[in-house]
Amino acid sequence: MKLLLLFIASIIVNNFVLSYFLGICPFIGVSKRLDSAVPMGFAVTFVMTMTAVITWIINQLILLKLNMPYLQYVAFILVIASLVQFVEMFLKKFIPSLYKAFGIYLPLITTNCAILGLALLEALKNYNFLESIVFGVGSGLGYTLSMAIMAGIREQLELSNIPKPFENAAITLITAGILALAFMGFSGMIAL
Amino acid sequence: MSILFSTILMGSIGLIFSIFLVIANKKFHVEVDERITKIEEALPGVNCGGCGFASCSNYAEAIVTKGSKLNMCVVADSETLAKLGEIMGVKVEKGEKKIAVVMCRGDREAAKFPGIYKGIKDCAAAIYSSDVAKRCKYGCVGLGSCVAACPFDAIHISEHGIPIVSIEKCTGCGNCVEACPRNLIELHPVSQKIHVYCKSKDPGAIYKTVCTNACIGCGLCVKAATNDNNPDAIKVSDNLAVVNYDNYKLKKEYIEKCPTGAINFEQNVK
Repeated sequence: MKLLLLFIASIIVNNFVLSYFLGICPFIGVSKRLDSAVPMGFAVTFVMTMTAVITWIINQLILLKLNMPYLQYVAFILVIASLVQFVEMFLKKFIPSLYKAFGIYLPLITTNCAILGLALLEALKNYNFLESIVFGVGSGLGYTLSMAIMAGIREQLELSNIPKPFENAAITLITAGILALAFMGFSGMIAL
Repeated sequence: MSILFSTILMGSIGLIFSIFLVIANKKFHVEVDERITKIEEALPGVNCGGCGFASCSNYAEAIVTKGSKLNMCVVADSETLAKLGEIMGVKVEKGEKKIAVVMCRGDREAAKFPGIYKGIKDCAAAIYSSDVAKRCKYGCVGLGSCVAACPFDAIHISEHGIPIVSIEKCTGCGNCVEACPRNLIELHPVSQKIHVYCKSKDPGAIYKTVCTNACIGCGLCVKAATNDNNPDAIKVSDNLAVVNYDNYKLKKEYIEKCPTGAINFEQNVK
């Protein structure tokens, strides 16, 4: 039951983009079209899950055992960078179609602060192994959800009559703000 | 002491990861034909889709792996083609340049508009949702779906409300052809300068009620062509003059008698 709650909480209540404000850069940059926003979301989900697993191992079995939690930041960045590299190689060899679909977004994830945020939050909240996986998958899906919502809205905006001063970046930021306000309605629903 | 420990720890973690990555790189190495990257670099890289492939890199891959023809890129100039030929070791000849031609002259002065359309700025949406976009059921509604589709900035709505194609910028990629919900844009070689700038199949009365630049199907052009021993050049069907593009023989003299100016010389281009 706790795992289910954690899953839902990480998708909706503690949505990475709209309540933690992490990973805003691709959220604004890649959300212009639905058919590129959703693959980006899934790429992030994939990397988040892998990161959650490996950083948990590194953090719990190495850093905390040796009493060196101050190395978390450096170690996690190292893990994420090499993980994304590895995932890229793996996909290129075994699932070329998926590799092509991800395209530029996969290397982009290396510099996505949502991934580092996930690893640090997971260490901060002291999740066990299973919880970490659920947290990773849930956060990734939450990211995908917010990307999809944003891209859907922006596709509609393309066809609307927007006043000149509000075109492009301005209306996008306003939309993101209103979305974040809407997601505030979920806050406090699940306390974890 | 702790500095030393952490340095050693981070160093060893980094070393393990890098060894792991090196092994992975060797193991998962994918042979990529060098020519694909070379061709991709030589191609214009605008991803317009004019060749029939989704992107320039897809086309480059098709050239090498599937043996697609080298002259399919509509954007490439002779220099690029020469480079492609050099990479693949064959000689390439370029076909004649085609440009987009907008087959409508129903601008704001000629065509009648029953009302003012204020909905979303998209041609398909305007046609689908209301009749006020234009009285003519065949003509251009002038909301610029083709302009938005053009990757080369070659097509613009003129001050009279009809798209104007720039001969220099247009590459004939055909994105606007697909974007036009009324199928008014066609690709034709630059040397063919005379076209019937109307698609209306309604009878001749439309001249008074719908558009003063419409083709009314009078057949004067057909008569002129027949008198010049060229009966195949143009024919009238469904109240509309249709040019025979398979065997293009239109001459300037045939169109001089056109009462409405629907058949014209180099309209909608600049």
